[in-house]
Amino acid sequence: MAEAQSIDEHAAVREREGWVTGRLVLFCLASVGITVVAGLVQVSFGEYSMTFVEAWKAVFNPTVIFSLDAWSAFLFGTELPNMSTGSVVVWNLRLPRVFVGIIAGATLAVSGAIFQAVTRNELASPFILGVSSGAGFAVLATLVVFSGLSNLLPLVAALGGTVAFVVVYMIAWKGGTSPVRLVLAGVIVNMIFQSLQQGLFFFADDLGVVQTAIAWLTGSLTGTGWGEVRIAIVPAIIAIGIALAGSRQLNVLMLGETTARSLGMQVERVRFFLSAVAILAASVAIAVAGIVSFFGLVVPHIVRNTLGGDYRRLMVGCLFAGPALMVTADVGARLALSGTQIPVGIVTGLIGGPYFLYLMRKQQSMGEL
Amino acid sequence: MTHQHHSATEEQDHDQEQAQEYEHEHEHEQITDSDGVTVESALVGDGLELSYPASEETIVDCARLDIPEAAVTALVGPNGSGKSTLLKSLSNHLEPDAGTVQIHGEDLDSFSQKELARELGVLSQENDSLGSITVEDLVYHGRYPHRGFFDSVSEEDHRAVDRAIELAGIDHICDTELGQLSGGQKQLAWIAMVLAQDTDVLLLDEPTTFLDIHHQFRVLETIRQLNEQKGVTVAVILHDISQAARFADYLVAIHDGELYDWGPPEEVVTEQLLADVFGVEATVKYEPELQVLPKQALPDNRL
Repeated sequence: MAEAQSIDEHAAVREREGWVTGRLVLFCLASVGITVVAGLVQVSFGEYSMTFVEAWKAVFNPTVIFSLDAWSAFLFGTELPNMSTGSVVVWNLRLPRVFVGIIAGATLAVSGAIFQAVTRNELASPFILGVSSGAGFAVLATLVVFSGLSNLLPLVAALGGTVAFVVVYMIAWKGGTSPVRLVLAGVIVNMIFQSLQQGLFFFADDLGVVQTAIAWLTGSLTGTGWGEVRIAIVPAIIAIGIALAGSRQLNVLMLGETTARSLGMQVERVRFFLSAVAILAASVAIAVAGIVSFFGLVVPHIVRNTLGGDYRRLMVGCLFAGPALMVTADVGARLALSGTQIPVGIVTGLIGGPYFLYLMRKQQSMGEL
Repeated sequence: MTHQHHSATEEQDHDQEQAQEYEHEHEHEQITDSDGVTVESALVGDGLELSYPASEETIVDCARLDIPEAAVTALVGPNGSGKSTLLKSLSNHLEPDAGTVQIHGEDLDSFSQKELARELGVLSQENDSLGSITVEDLVYHGRYPHRGFFDSVSEEDHRAVDRAIELAGIDHICDTELGQLSGGQKQLAWIAMVLAQDTDVLLLDEPTTFLDIHHQFRVLETIRQLNEQKGVTVAVILHDISQAARFADYLVAIHDGELYDWGPPEEVVTEQLLADVFGVEATVKYEPELQVLPKQALPDNRL
């Protein structure tokens, strides 16, 4: 009896900790390390230059961290209490940009990971499936035509993304969907929405709006502040929470449609629900950072190559690697060229694109997962 | 509860009528084995007409198919005879154009997807090859129908998984990734996953095809053990008629989408069947045990 119990206990321990490997922990710690260092670089440099120590002190300035007034100003938009110039620069100008980067990185990576499992396609990402361009079009339309709605940007973006994705799904649907059909439909819908986006430029009468719009379409964190954090944080947490809880469903989906069905999964319903979560996640990122190219595609690949294909690990890995890579890329975008900032989407495109090509060359086959 | 009084004759008449009615309704379900003992069916396909959504053509037209309770039934037939299609409709993977499938007397449609997966385990012919998942993780997926969205792994799950792994005899490769296994080991891992589902009925589509002879027997022995130890009803498609004849309690021979014959192997396997269904000339020996010795293929154009 005692022996049987000890076996059971052993089994319980084995399962509970089975998927949390040392490698995963190390990977997450390394990602956190990179995020912190990149974040620190980001807050230290700029027109108001500080040393690392000064920046570090400003970041961990107890009078800010433990000030309810300050946090209420950051999170609810109330009036900012008096603080030193350094603290204002760090806490009100530079840190929120890092936070937005963290949120956008995490949501984009998670979104890409979900889409890749749902479509069982390594090439899937919010971009390929039309979600980005649909959301981008909605955002652009809001900026150019319906500027009154700009507080509701994530919602508008989610709406545009959903419309685009539903159209893609409907085109691809023929008594079920296949990875190839989905991607092909996505490419076509993408093109249509891109045409619409370009068409919108003719309605913009103000050069400033056009510039904002271009920054949006290439993906940029320039000028983001606590307002963006406020917009994004709640939907991001919801999407990420469901995504983490749904990782077992994604693992079962990876067994193939027939097997998933045999195991009692309502495959199309689960696919659609998790796709909705992925759309929400992508929309959050697009609403605050625009269309950051290659990010949702490449980050899950990096994590998969390091941690393997188990979605319980993959999802957690994406959650940590996404922010690390986004914040690092944004450091490059902001500080690489002195005097001017480039959109972070250009950096991710320039690094992510070649990396993806390298993967394609290295792997025997690419496409179906 | 109220009790109604009838005159004695009335009551008798009534009973008789009911009995007749019952007999009429359940006429089909009274199947008997070679000793004349009635066999209950775990799974019944009634008036099935099957086709795939993409084509008009009816692939299977089967008036009545019985999978007897607590026995191993082998579905045999040549390539393209509709065995797999039939199995798909039995497992609710294919909606029949006409007819119904019942499990333990209840329509498949009356079950939710998860409820059905707790009654009926299915292993399909092609399983997507996933490289980087361990055998144990795969077997745990067999517990899917027993867990809710937010449920964690329960004691019962652990026990079912351990039992399944033991039954399939794959303890030693538990932590190995699927990509590193041979075809036979992989198949045993998939079977363990279906076993962990803990169902009363199990449908297997060609589980031994493409396996070496050792693993063919391992698979068949696992199925046999499961049937003997736990009384699980098994329907299995087997490619090899002589293997099926030796292994199964019942054979269902399918030819051109129709049921050719049904019963214990000694009754079903005849030289005539081998010629009609499989298109081979063969000798069948019944002593000391059933043995099929194929000799040559019959010409294709025979009628």
